[in-house]
Amino acid sequence: MKIPKYFVPLIVLIALVGGYFLRTAFTQPTTNVVVGSGEGMTLDCIVDGVKCKGTAEFFTSLYKDKPGIKRIETFASDHRVVFTFDPELITPMRIRNIMEAQIPLEDGTTVQAFKCVSME
Amino acid sequence: MKTRYIRYALLTVSLGLVTYLALGFGVQSFEAFCPFGGMESLWGLFRAGEFSCALGPLNLSMLIAVLLLALLAKKSFCGWACPIGFLGELCGHAGGVVNKQKLRPGERLDTTLRMLRYVVLVVALVFTYKAGELILRGYDPFYLIFSGIGHGTAGVFSYATMAILVIGAFAVPMFFCRYLCPLGAVLDPFSRLGVVKIYRDESKCTNCASCQTACPHDIPVHSLARVRRRDCTNCLECVDACPEEGVLSIRAGL
Repeated sequence: MKIPKYFVPLIVLIALVGGYFLRTAFTQPTTNVVVGSGEGMTLDCIVDGVKCKGTAEFFTSLYKDKPGIKRIETFASDHRVVFTFDPELITPMRIRNIMEAQIPLEDGTTVQAFKCVSME
Repeated sequence: MKTRYIRYALLTVSLGLVTYLALGFGVQSFEAFCPFGGMESLWGLFRAGEFSCALGPLNLSMLIAVLLLALLAKKSFCGWACPIGFLGELCGHAGGVVNKQKLRPGERLDTTLRMLRYVVLVVALVFTYKAGELILRGYDPFYLIFSGIGHGTAGVFSYATMAILVIGAFAVPMFFCRYLCPLGAVLDPFSRLGVVKIYRDESKCTNCASCQTACPHDIPVHSLARVRRRDCTNCLECVDACPEEGVLSIRAGL
């Protein structure tokens, strides 16, 4: 069956747009750290600096032993982090302060590894 | 209107979108759009229900879309949307202007070198699956170019890789796509089955070989009744280059 030349770019566009919208069917985190149990409030953040599994794991390590944090899911490709927390033990502002804190390096200097771009 | 203008317009949009994301203007990482990332993420998803490194659901959904597209219209993604293929093609044109006699390896050497992309595919998947990190990203032109040889690259080895790929792109048409692209290797079996392909009317063809000269992948279209070759990207350069009316056409068929 003969088809017009413009069919090719058309199906390429349809496939790519379809692929873009299909992504919601496969949402899984890059790291998923479960600290406590039970439900809590969620805080959805875009964090500059969460860009791969290594940085995501380092990011979650900042909240190790912090009371009130129940779960941290990171989505490196979207630079996104979702916290589940107990609002009676920790506030969103405290969560933000922890991620934006200066981190000491071996040579004695400090660096800010993460910056919160948005919080919801 | 020449099909190339439409193709280059689409490729420019694709290149522009990736550049826009790479410059940090979007929420998503530019890597999130790479279909090969979907392949690299499969083991991590299967094993732990998590994505490796900087990969995400978009990589997987783009992989599925590109595989379905290959079943329908061969490697159309490569010819119509891949920014690395586009840059390779532009380098090839630039190389052709400087050096009219393009370097074309003999058929036997060319066929052997084309097997390299399967080696790259196996190495990339094994290393990624074992480490859970994209440890070959330091040698991936897509990452090297758009990250500006950034985070997670391999220093002097990354620069050396880029130098080889750039020299190769100027010397041999579609150097990376032809010999090294692991996504191309993934798409090969799907592309062989592609329904939409170029057909040649043998009774009208004068065997002038303009089609092969125009083809970025050197496919001898003038000697085939229909182009089932796995490397065909349905770019339609051969259709535009054919001097005879109605010899080459695009059709759906098995």
